[in-house]
Amino acid sequence: MNRKHSLIALAIMSCLTAAPAIADTQLHLQRFFGACEAKYGTNKDVSKAEGECGIMTSLINQFEAKNPDIEIKVTTVEWPGYDQLTAQMASRTPPDLVTMHNSVISDYQSRQLILPIDSLLKKADIALDEFTSTALNGVKREGEVFGLPIDTWTMLYHVNTKLMAQAELINADGSPTLPSSPEEMLSMARQFKEKTGKPYLIQILSNETAAYTRLMYTYLLQQDSNFFADASHISLQTKEARNILSHFKAIYDEDLTTKNMDYPASVSAFSNAQGGILLNGNWLLGTYTAESNKATSAIYNAYKAMPYPKLYDNDALYVDGHSWVMPNKKRSDDKLAATAKFFKFMADNDFEWSRTGHLPSMKNVLSNPDFTSLPHRTELMSVTTRGQGLPGGVKRQFAVQDIIGEEIASAITGVKTIDAALKDAEERVNDLLGNL
Amino acid sequence: MSHLNQASASEVCVRSPEKSISWLQNFGMWLANNKLLLVLIACSLLMLAPFLWTVGLSLKSNQELMLGASAVFHFPYTLNNYADIFQNSQVFRWLANSLIVSIGMTFWVLILSSLAGYAFARLEFPFKKIIFVIILMGLAVPEQAVIMARHQIFSALEMHNSYVGLILPGLSAPFGVFLMTQFFKAIPPELDEAATLDNANKFQIFWYVLLPLTLPAQATLGILTFLTSWNDYFWPLISATEQEMYTLTIGIASSQQNFAQSEGLGFLASQAIFSALPIILVYIFFQKHIVTAVAGGGVK
Repeated sequence: MNRKHSLIALAIMSCLTAAPAIADTQLHLQRFFGACEAKYGTNKDVSKAEGECGIMTSLINQFEAKNPDIEIKVTTVEWPGYDQLTAQMASRTPPDLVTMHNSVISDYQSRQLILPIDSLLKKADIALDEFTSTALNGVKREGEVFGLPIDTWTMLYHVNTKLMAQAELINADGSPTLPSSPEEMLSMARQFKEKTGKPYLIQILSNETAAYTRLMYTYLLQQDSNFFADASHISLQTKEARNILSHFKAIYDEDLTTKNMDYPASVSAFSNAQGGILLNGNWLLGTYTAESNKATSAIYNAYKAMPYPKLYDNDALYVDGHSWVMPNKKRSDDKLAATAKFFKFMADNDFEWSRTGHLPSMKNVLSNPDFTSLPHRTELMSVTTRGQGLPGGVKRQFAVQDIIGEEIASAITGVKTIDAALKDAEERVNDLLGNL
Repeated sequence: MSHLNQASASEVCVRSPEKSISWLQNFGMWLANNKLLLVLIACSLLMLAPFLWTVGLSLKSNQELMLGASAVFHFPYTLNNYADIFQNSQVFRWLANSLIVSIGMTFWVLILSSLAGYAFARLEFPFKKIIFVIILMGLAVPEQAVIMARHQIFSALEMHNSYVGLILPGLSAPFGVFLMTQFFKAIPPELDEAATLDNANKFQIFWYVLLPLTLPAQATLGILTFLTSWNDYFWPLISATEQEMYTLTIGIASSQQNFAQSEGLGFLASQAIFSALPIILVYIFFQKHIVTAVAGGGVK
């Protein structure tokens, strides 16, 4: 064997023996939030990252850099990725950890497809009382914790304060005057339209069913309606549900809202100051804050984000959240230890994730000056205590949301009467839940 | 001199309405004679509009598009969205996967469909008609109806996340068998008889005599199979769950940054154009065969 061959053989041997020494435990993470390798593929400085994708990618890069003994393999899936996850579970090849909406946890937990992580949290030295009550409730099922909550999200009032001032709906401290009852909301909306010539609300009413449903959940919770008395049965033929739909319909019929806008159209409509209040999620906080800082923008210095106001007796909001959950499969002790380390890292860096606009799941972030000094966060902190999801045992919440959203839209646009739409929504949801 | 000039100017003034009338008449006649062409041009523009719109979106920054899609109609334009695609290290892997799967599936569909088509058209064997009908019944079974069972079988065989797992389901191609059978039937049997007289066996007749005559049908079937495989989304979504095994359709979908993609519209559009490029090339180079495929497939 000549010298060249010896060197090649030595190099190959070195690689083969070195690889396990560098990273002997692999964690397969599966997540949504998109891919942004072009911008953040190698970034390990999380403070320099922006947006869900950028911050999540940088967090994982940083974790890998700090833990050379753990190799992270990331699979990015199209939002929300549950078809793929279910297929992986059916073929017994799920990832080690996967991002999941809290509202979806019951679908997998009830079939033992994901595992409780209480012992791992203990191993990672994370106490349950470190989580906000809303975040913890979102991941708790039958007394056990089924995911590491990373945030709480909700729908917000994204307010154009310039237009609100024009409509004389602004308080002395510069905050927008928000309604405290449905009647007051209608009167404010009429006043807004009269003074500005623009609709009070910007809503997503085309190609989307979630927005109306989330709004309805919030107002049902505010009326203390026990609409999911048991997790497999919904009651929508109620006075409370009728109140809400009548209110929505009045807003629609009087042209106090934008119409025929899909999601992107409504997002750009707010940027272009085409209405007073956009009803959309907290994930748009960063985008609109940046937009309102541009002198050329139609919302320059004219943006405020507020939680949904209390229109009825109860102070409640519908919320959901994102979590890391652990699919049910056999794991080595090393892998469990690596998972605990990952949980600890994500919990410790919850502030960085909260920069996305999502609300923190860790209580200590709420009092962190870095967090409170972020735009609009102080106004939104109450969401972490006022927020409620649907009862933990309710399954197929995405499908339920679609059904209710479709039926609400039918009632509001006049295709069905309110009573008929609520009856159909109730029957369709109960049919779905009754056949699981 | 100036009088002369004035005279010629007035002549021109007098003539020009006649000229314009005659031009209008000619144009009117041309319109009358080319009504069909005009309708086709209008329809083509209608078909092309979404594609051009997507190209326009892909050349705009995401920030501009967030303020409104009308930004497409004015400067500045940028290639940054395309540059971002090339900086995603996985895109070329997904492209290669799509090519491997599409070419592999096309190759095997052509072989299997040709052999089956020959057998049904030329050979006699027990239950031939019944088997042919059973195969054709496959045309009426939607993929969704068998997807669960198929997924379970592939799980048991540990074939997910493999090229075989992606290619194999596409090989059951009842349309291919039907198409090739019809083409083989259309070839005069005298050619077989002549080859038999020259001592050719069945396979030699198939390979040397009949198969070359079915090349137009092969092109038709090949193109349709390639296009179907390239655009497939459902099966790769649940079979290729490892990122390295994603095909382009799945990979690009996974890159979307939020559920309504309002913040990355330009990037999304550039990805759509990028993934369509191979198909556009296939259309450009095999246009004639595709037209034959679509027209012939219906007639045969």
